[in-house]
Amino acid sequence: MFDARNISLRYGKHLAVDDVSISVGEGECVVILGANGAGKSSLLRGISRMAPIDPAGRITLRGADLGAVPAHRIVEEGIALVPEGRGVFTEMTVEDNLWLGSNPKRARADNETRRGEILALFPRLAERRKQRVGTMSGGEQQMVAIARALMSNPDLLFLDEPSLGLAPIVVKELFATLTRIKESGVSMLLVEQNVTSSLALADRGYVLEAGRITSEGTARELSSSSVVMEAFLGH
Amino acid sequence: MLSSTLIVGLVLGGTYALLALGLTIQYGVARIMNLAYGELVIAGAFFTMLMVTQAGLNPLVALILALPLGYGFSWLLYTVVLHPLARRSKSQGQLEVDSILVTFGLLFLMQGLYQVNFGGNFQGYQWLQNPVNILGTKIAGGRVIGLVFAVLIGALLYLAMIKTRWGVNMRAVASRPQFAALVGIDMRKEARMAFATGGALAAAGGAILSMYQTFTAVDGTFLTMKALVIVIMGGVGNLIGALLSGIIIGLVEAGVSVAIDPGLTLAATYAIFLVVLLWRPRGLFST
Ligand SMILES: Nc1ncnc2c1ncn2[C@@H]1O[C@H](COP(=O)(O)OP(=O)(O)OP(=O)(O)O)[C@@H](O)[C@H]1O
Ligand SMILES: [Mg+2]
Repeated sequence: MFDARNISLRYGKHLAVDDVSISVGEGECVVILGANGAGKSSLLRGISRMAPIDPAGRITLRGADLGAVPAHRIVEEGIALVPEGRGVFTEMTVEDNLWLGSNPKRARADNETRRGEILALFPRLAERRKQRVGTMSGGEQQMVAIARALMSNPDLLFLDEPSLGLAPIVVKELFATLTRIKESGVSMLLVEQNVTSSLALADRGYVLEAGRITSEGTARELSSSSVVMEAFLGH
Repeated sequence: MLSSTLIVGLVLGGTYALLALGLTIQYGVARIMNLAYGELVIAGAFFTMLMVTQAGLNPLVALILALPLGYGFSWLLYTVVLHPLARRSKSQGQLEVDSILVTFGLLFLMQGLYQVNFGGNFQGYQWLQNPVNILGTKIAGGRVIGLVFAVLIGALLYLAMIKTRWGVNMRAVASRPQFAALVGIDMRKEARMAFATGGALAAAGGAILSMYQTFTAVDGTFLTMKALVIVIMGGVGNLIGALLSGIIIGLVEAGVSVAIDPGLTLAATYAIFLVVLLWRPRGLFST
């Protein structure tokens, strides 16, 4: 459903993403693994139009070219990004953040039902609707970020290291929730350093090293690949 | 005398609160420090005066007309002059410096136009001078109506900010502009809308001001300064803070002018401002 071809992205002379091509199938969960500084976040920003990419790159969603779509229209096209650092409005309440999530027209029609479903998925948020997001724990803020993205009624969810900085028990809970979101039919592109949990969730994956894809395969293949294990687990 | 001071202070404070609300929206959302803000207030006052004296309209009708006119004027100003600045500036700091320079020039342009057309004298019109009795105090009817409308417009705007998608988007941009695109907000559109909304409030504030006091072609400078002081007192981008600080400044001015000397009101305002800057630089209501 989603296809990004020949994506390159640079900061001045530094080439952070070097001719990367990735795709996500309908209902599929794809993970991008890579060490710090590999270019994962840059790639995600590039393919969600939040950062400029080299002109050779092509981005399509269900065949529609996203090359000329401005950043603020991407969520209307059906891609919701949960960026590195969560990108939530910390001065505002949980409720306000969710409301903002439903800004796109595609989300307006059954807004109320969707909100009910999302709050069922994140019961903690239902209890804290009036709380300012800035006063919440890191795990709760990550939930707000994901819940807000889901409020836009996305076809495809981009998640940048959602488990970063969370306690192991919270990470477990988070991946359980992501599994349920996947089962609901939303396609996912996930950037992670938590190899074990993310390969358990994902169908397929890519390994990014110094801005280039060095291996790719099904989650099972990557789990048993010595390359991945060496790169990330030091085995 | 105490209660009459209180009411005069509330009337002033209500108007100031409205003016500060407009300025804080312009600065908080569009990131434009508009030094010509007070000139638009005075434009609202001149407009109301002309409507009353030349067209024989009720000042309240002029107030209703001033809102869309202030909006439209500021919308155009943003689109033609300020948007190109916003687009070419690489950082927020640069946009602030550029917008200060441009609106500083605009201030002189507008003041010059007023002086050429109206001269430097006090301007005004007579409306509802007959006193009404409130809590045993006699106060001009025009003042009371001015207060009612300032409070009404301020309260409506506040509710819109809290309860409508329009307002929630505006607050989102004010607090975290870099995340706006994630929730589908077009920053350019939002900035223009906020700037125009601030302009509507400025013009309305001027219309209300003219209902109970005279003004001159150059009063805009003081009004910008006062609005700025109130915005900083309330905490930049804090709407409730701006409303409360506006009322505080109004009460202080009325108190100082009665108890000490009318000439000291501006000095009193700045004294408070200095204390706030030293003691709570992020505003009286920051947490
Ligand atoms: N705004 C920027 N300006 C200059 N260089 C940048 C910028 N953002 C990222 N880089 C550089 O680009 C490279 C890739 O960064 P990126 O944030 O995409 O990596 P990452 O894989 O997401 O890392 P992490 O796991 O630490 O989040 C790094 O070398 C980084 O220093
Ligand atoms: Mg990253």
